[in-house]
Amino acid sequence: MTMGHRLRLGAGSAALRVQRWRAERRYDRRAPDPGSPLNPPLRSTIRMREMMSRHYLAGRSVSGSRPVAWVTSGAPTEILKALGYHLVYPENHAALCGARRRAEALSSAAEDAGYSRDLCSYARTDLGSLLSGDTPVGSLPPPDLLLCCTNICQTVLYWYRVLADHFGCPLVLVDTPFLYGDAAEPHQVDFVRRQLEDMVPAAEAAAGREFSLDGFTAVVARAKQASDLWLEILERARHRPSPLTAFDSFVNLGPIVDLRGDQATVAFYESLLAELDERIARGVGAVKDERLRVLWDNLPIWYRIGPLSRWLAERGVNVVASTYTHAWGELAEMMDPAEPFEAMARVYLHPILNRSTGHKLAAMRRMVEEFSIDGVILHSDRSCKPYSLGQIDQRDRLVADVGVPALLLEADHNDPRSYAEEQATTRLEAFVEMMS
Amino acid sequence: MTVTHRPSRSEAIARAEARGQRIAAVLPYHYPRALLRAHGFHPVEVWGPPGVPRDEGGRHFQAYTCDIVVRATSFLLRGGLERAGVLLVPHTCDALQGMGSVAGDFLQPSQHVLTLYLPRAGRPTDREYLVAELRRLSDRLAGIAGGRPTDAGWADALAAEEAADETLAALYRDREALAVGDREFYEVVRSREYLAAEEFVEAAAAVPRGTAPSGIGLLLSGIVPEPMSLFDHLAEAGARVVADDLAAGARRLYPPSDAADPIERLADRLLGSPPDPTRGTPIAARAAALAGRMAAAGAKGMLIYDVAFCEPELFDVPLLRRHLGDAGYPVAHVEVELGGELGHRVITRIEAFVETLA
Repeated sequence: MTMGHRLRLGAGSAALRVQRWRAERRYDRRAPDPGSPLNPPLRSTIRMREMMSRHYLAGRSVSGSRPVAWVTSGAPTEILKALGYHLVYPENHAALCGARRRAEALSSAAEDAGYSRDLCSYARTDLGSLLSGDTPVGSLPPPDLLLCCTNICQTVLYWYRVLADHFGCPLVLVDTPFLYGDAAEPHQVDFVRRQLEDMVPAAEAAAGREFSLDGFTAVVARAKQASDLWLEILERARHRPSPLTAFDSFVNLGPIVDLRGDQATVAFYESLLAELDERIARGVGAVKDERLRVLWDNLPIWYRIGPLSRWLAERGVNVVASTYTHAWGELAEMMDPAEPFEAMARVYLHPILNRSTGHKLAAMRRMVEEFSIDGVILHSDRSCKPYSLGQIDQRDRLVADVGVPALLLEADHNDPRSYAEEQATTRLEAFVEMMS
Repeated sequence: MTVTHRPSRSEAIARAEARGQRIAAVLPYHYPRALLRAHGFHPVEVWGPPGVPRDEGGRHFQAYTCDIVVRATSFLLRGGLERAGVLLVPHTCDALQGMGSVAGDFLQPSQHVLTLYLPRAGRPTDREYLVAELRRLSDRLAGIAGGRPTDAGWADALAAEEAADETLAALYRDREALAVGDREFYEVVRSREYLAAEEFVEAAAAVPRGTAPSGIGLLLSGIVPEPMSLFDHLAEAGARVVADDLAAGARRLYPPSDAADPIERLADRLLGSPPDPTRGTPIAARAAALAGRMAAAGAKGMLIYDVAFCEPELFDVPLLRRHLGDAGYPVAHVEVELGGELGHRVITRIEAFVETLA
């Protein structure tokens, strides 16, 4: 990193810190809004925004000083962290573009280049950004390595093959057989463990650095700590009223996905947990008049998070849990720093997205019980077929066997053109009425 | 048997049953035929079927799910697969993953639902995994069949299926010396989807030798050429398919293996299949292989003929267009739904493309 880069990074970090202080001061001084159905948002979110902005800022000047890897959201990044890689998550970047209402324009840029509108909108957003050079984060550092793990979908492999063609850098594949049964079979675990071991020399070569088992173990230990905390945070929503909504957890998901394995992430989630406990102690819920509790299935609708959260809160509905955010916490118990390769092979085989439709139904049934759920919204996400296929039967079973109202809400996680506001509102109104 | 008198699907099934084989309905598209045969199963592939309405399948899968999965589910629920004792769903893509999972967890048909996860690369680790995965499938089949294949059973199955595969490869090699149009050629190629290996060899032998019809050479890429009237439209436009990159075609030209162990042999052959987006082939390598195939066959351009919502195919289109364009081969892309005849818009698009190649 040149002196100029270092100075710019230092100045940028300082500016972000000042921005956070100001935001926190505004937060502390602001008067309660009696007209809002929601209590003030979590104060910790301000700090999370600073962390994520700092990460993207660091990416702008990292080329040449640290190796850079672009990785999928379910990838085994602990090995790369141990080698000092700066990680870029195209999915997170795409979600950020979605939340800032930039996804439609970027998707159009990809579609103009020939990418079908039927493809995943994260991929279209990210490829559109790549092709147009337009991004709300200033710029993304080009990768020295691409790491693609199929435990969330096969889409990522198609997408990363495009990225590999574009950047001409190595693509490391961690292929995780889909688990149709109850748990991974020995040959599936062996397959993933061996790929993780084989990944080390490829990552070393691209980084020009030597792998340290001690370093890897330490990263795994911190990742486990953060994942444990994340699960604890999500479990706090069992309280009535819940101190957080699933929309809060969607927003605060960034560090556990992007910065897992960092000490700062552990510290952040400790502070977030403390804030939730403080809310619980004071009896403060995220929704002022929480009467109905809902489970969300699938990715969020990034461009509608705020309005949807408010619309539901106005009707006394709190979406307290989601299958999606739990995915980054529920496997913490499998993480074992004492046997990092074997344990991480199991961890990366078992995300909910790599498991059967029956397993997901069982997970939802359990969550209905544990979180005292009154209804389930299954976001039928046009862009995420592996998460969405099976939802029709899951909804039918939830209604028939569990006895909770369940709504299939047609949308897309990042492309607003696939969301019909009026139709969605009508269906949500009927759903709320059924729960009441 | 002549080229126009092959056994129908129903006849092939009846013959297999008469031989004492059980029927395995198999979804697209890479799977070990000899493994099924060795365990006493006759594979019959299910590519929709295109004529079956989406209705019943649409009660389990969203509108944005590909036709093959939805129509196959309709077919299953309508009893179209009732003669099958096994439903094998290879993990070809996320949509077929969904079908395999929903069938096993929720539909629970009378057939045993079996799955097969094919690795997405060709590394030594992938081979070891695939061998273990095929052994797992073999165990399941043995459990259903009530016994394991004998050495002689394995030898018979491997010999028959490898002979049929070689016959398929020879059909492609000898394309220019076959006096049949594209539609007839692909009807023979696709009869491999349901005929027994020996019947397929016989069907191929019945294809008349001579000179292939002339026309502007095209390479046809995609999953499945349905409706088959596509070939009539191509012929009317003055084009001829001189090579293909079809999942229902040349993507299943498996190379030989010299492994002695039957399962290892099957794994080697599956892993050696031609470049294929569902198997993770790098796009540039795939484009180079396609360009080589087009040069060898005298194709002037490539038509990508996709089933709607097929992600593995759709992702590659822009870069194939660019790489092949750089190599001097124009590319056209159309998307279709499986039911019914080709729409006017698609036909016009194809005709316009062929015109540009003339």
